[in-house]
Amino acid sequence: MAFLDIAAVTKSFGAQGVLKDVNLSIERGEFVVFVGPSGCGKSTLLRIITGLETVTSGTISIEGEVMNDVEPARRGTAMVFQSYALYPHMTTFQNVSFSLRMAHRARDVIVDKVQKAAAILQLDKLLERKPGQLSGGQKQRVAIGRAIVREPRVFLFDEPLSNLDAELRVQMRAELMELHRRLGTTMIYVTHDQVEAMTLADKMVVMHAGRVQQAGKPLDLYDDPDNRFVAGFVGSPKMNFLPARVQSSGPNALGLAGVGGAGEATLPFTAPPGLAGPVEIGLRPERMRPLPPGAPPPPNSIVLEGQVTLVEELGSESYVHMVLADGTPVTLRAGRDETVEGPSLRVAADPRHALLFGPDGERIRSQGGSKR
Amino acid sequence: MTGMSLPPIWTILKWALALSIAAVALFPIWWMVNVVFALPGEPVSLNPRLWPTSIPAGIDKIRLILTETDFLRAYGISLLYAVLTIAGVLIIGSLAAFEFALFDFPGRKLLFGIVMLSLMVPTAVTIIPTYLLTSQLGWLNTMQGLVIPGVASAFGLFMLIQFMRAIPMDMIEAARLDGASHFQVYWHVALPLCSNALVTLAILTFMQTWGNYMWPLIVSSRPEMYTVGQVVGLFNSPLSHQTVDTVMTANLLAAIPPLLFFLIFQRKIVEGIAMSGTKG
Repeated sequence: MAFLDIAAVTKSFGAQGVLKDVNLSIERGEFVVFVGPSGCGKSTLLRIITGLETVTSGTISIEGEVMNDVEPARRGTAMVFQSYALYPHMTTFQNVSFSLRMAHRARDVIVDKVQKAAAILQLDKLLERKPGQLSGGQKQRVAIGRAIVREPRVFLFDEPLSNLDAELRVQMRAELMELHRRLGTTMIYVTHDQVEAMTLADKMVVMHAGRVQQAGKPLDLYDDPDNRFVAGFVGSPKMNFLPARVQSSGPNALGLAGVGGAGEATLPFTAPPGLAGPVEIGLRPERMRPLPPGAPPPPNSIVLEGQVTLVEELGSESYVHMVLADGTPVTLRAGRDETVEGPSLRVAADPRHALLFGPDGERIRSQGGSKR
Repeated sequence: MTGMSLPPIWTILKWALALSIAAVALFPIWWMVNVVFALPGEPVSLNPRLWPTSIPAGIDKIRLILTETDFLRAYGISLLYAVLTIAGVLIIGSLAAFEFALFDFPGRKLLFGIVMLSLMVPTAVTIIPTYLLTSQLGWLNTMQGLVIPGVASAFGLFMLIQFMRAIPMDMIEAARLDGASHFQVYWHVALPLCSNALVTLAILTFMQTWGNYMWPLIVSSRPEMYTVGQVVGLFNSPLSHQTVDTVMTANLLAAIPPLLFFLIFQRKIVEGIAMSGTKG
């Protein structure tokens, strides 16, 4: 049994189902990130784990003990809120020590614990200040300090960095990782920012419409998504999806027609029996290369031709947005030295990097051992 | 558009209007001081003065009132009445507002509706049933009879609810996660966060209680339980044998606490009245 088990959890608010049959195992010491668009149920799941919401059905257990009816304060979880939720009338010391004071701990124990937490978070000089006199990053630290003194089994973070500016966010992200390394405590982190999720997570849990779409190491999700949603959500710029039609199917060769309109392609792919009809090809922007005018494409590559609509020059690289003949938008990432001349552009992609999705959005994997 | 861009004539008119209103409001108070600190008869003589003429005469009158009548006892009663009412209004109002504003419970809307309805019923309508109830409890001429009917203030509840609604839910939940009990959340989080509203409500309640004449008149008919308002009423009564300057002295003594109170809490009171959209 895992350290934290979420088993068949559903949650409805009235007739509206927010979580549908969520199953998840989290190991001790893991840094887990729930990520998904707003309204996907990730925050609700976090609130259920900590006890601020009840489940409609299913169980939450920590170290084998079912937590469904355990008081929030007794679950061994501590939460850091997006708004920090610091008490504005209390000093940093009083904020951080609040839970200890509520538990009527001895004064010297309180001072000792607060000072330890303050040392970890560099709050030593701010203990007498009130939240109104702290910067965003400092408030964030106080909120984390309030969680640390409780010595929880699980830390829960609900979009804790979204109120900070970009630079501070990167810095706090590094601090969080360092904190996780020092404490070694299980952390669950909710965000809608997939970059944040990729950089922080040991295990990334992509959620959509109340369901866990896929959970795993961030790079596994990036390279080997289970469905079109995960493929599109993880990675920036997004994966390109090209409509196509199955034409022929053989061992390690799947012939596709109508790729992005009229193109043809052969994927090194053994299709499951009976695969026919419309499918979608997924191609990451960095897996496509612009072809110089007149140059022949590399052998066996997927070649697409379209009109350039926008070039975003970021210095080290450019994002080229184009539209294919059938109206499919495609984005590719071009290096600084690659020439991108409009208005029309040809791009080539290695078919080994193409992923295949069925009309239901599920990934179609090659049969017989090969991962792709 | 700022005042600077208005023609000076408007500025002058505005000031003139403000000063006239201030004069009308201040004159009675000044006249009271004038009458008290003058030799008997002087302010109402054919040659009246608009300024005090004799401080010792005034001090004599004050001493007379404080020693010869039960004025000091009335002061004590009024003060206790005000302080207990304030305490009651704040405790009951904030406890109820905490539940109404931050938690959902069956019948919340209905109960709140009933409380708000009571705001619309004039005091005159409820005063007889309230008197009968107080009388049946045997509370006539007692402090609890004076105080308790006034401690459940729908107005105070309404005001505190508005304030507590502004407390972020995150903060309440954070406190719960920190192990605070329901009462501890109220005591350590909700109450301090609406301290401004509590101060305002305390001030408004003080003004109202100190100036309340009708309820003490009805419920405490024995002289030992007279409030300042009632004592001053006795001085003013048609069959009173007091001269006008003695009556004025009693009035002045009755007016000093709210005046001091107002001068100290002026800013809070104005804020409070603006905030609650009422004059208490």
